[in-house]
Amino acid sequence: MNDEIPAGHPAEARSSAAVYDDKRAAILAAAAWLVPGLGHAILRMWIRALACLLCVGALVLLGAGMRGNLFTWQNADAFSRLGFVADAGSGVFYWVARSVENAGPDVSRADGDYGTRLLAAAGVLNLLAALHVYEAARGRKA
Amino acid sequence: MSALRLSHFQALLLFALLVSIALGVLSRRAPKEQVKYAARSLFWFLIIGIGIGWLMYPFSR
Repeated sequence: MNDEIPAGHPAEARSSAAVYDDKRAAILAAAAWLVPGLGHAILRMWIRALACLLCVGALVLLGAGMRGNLFTWQNADAFSRLGFVADAGSGVFYWVARSVENAGPDVSRADGDYGTRLLAAAGVLNLLAALHVYEAARGRKA
Repeated sequence: MSALRLSHFQALLLFALLVSIALGVLSRRAPKEQVKYAARSLFWFLIIGIGIGWLMYPFSR
């Protein structure tokens, strides 16, 4: 019988990465949310850190450059607040997008509408990356 | 700053490329598997995006 742990098995992840307790893993996930790629960098997952930083950064800069709608918490309706949660998912890039988009959104054109989606996708991807950091730090994923 | 102007296809391509890279890197462990997953994801993003575009064509005017 073969005793080797198959690739991708959670047990293999536990053997190759440092396992943090719940509190530290949550702090790492928060760091990953605040600065895209930081959580993976702390876990020494350099390729993932670079990929998260570049992909989230590029999506935010493209979305803001296309003058997509960047939602704020002050919006009245629930869907706009959901939009804010998605946008704020990109951490510090939310404020980067605010400073890039100094002329405000323009969703009267298709570009602005696409920009809104790109900004939201950046946030949701970063939240996914933060969740991945939490799981990796707990030793459940690598 | 003047707004960035992209065609529909350019916007789709950039979105699909960036999201595919991120998904590939996050969901697979081995570099080869990551590249394969990202390529497959990009392919399906483009096929489904263009397909839905053509499906909506009769209703666009």
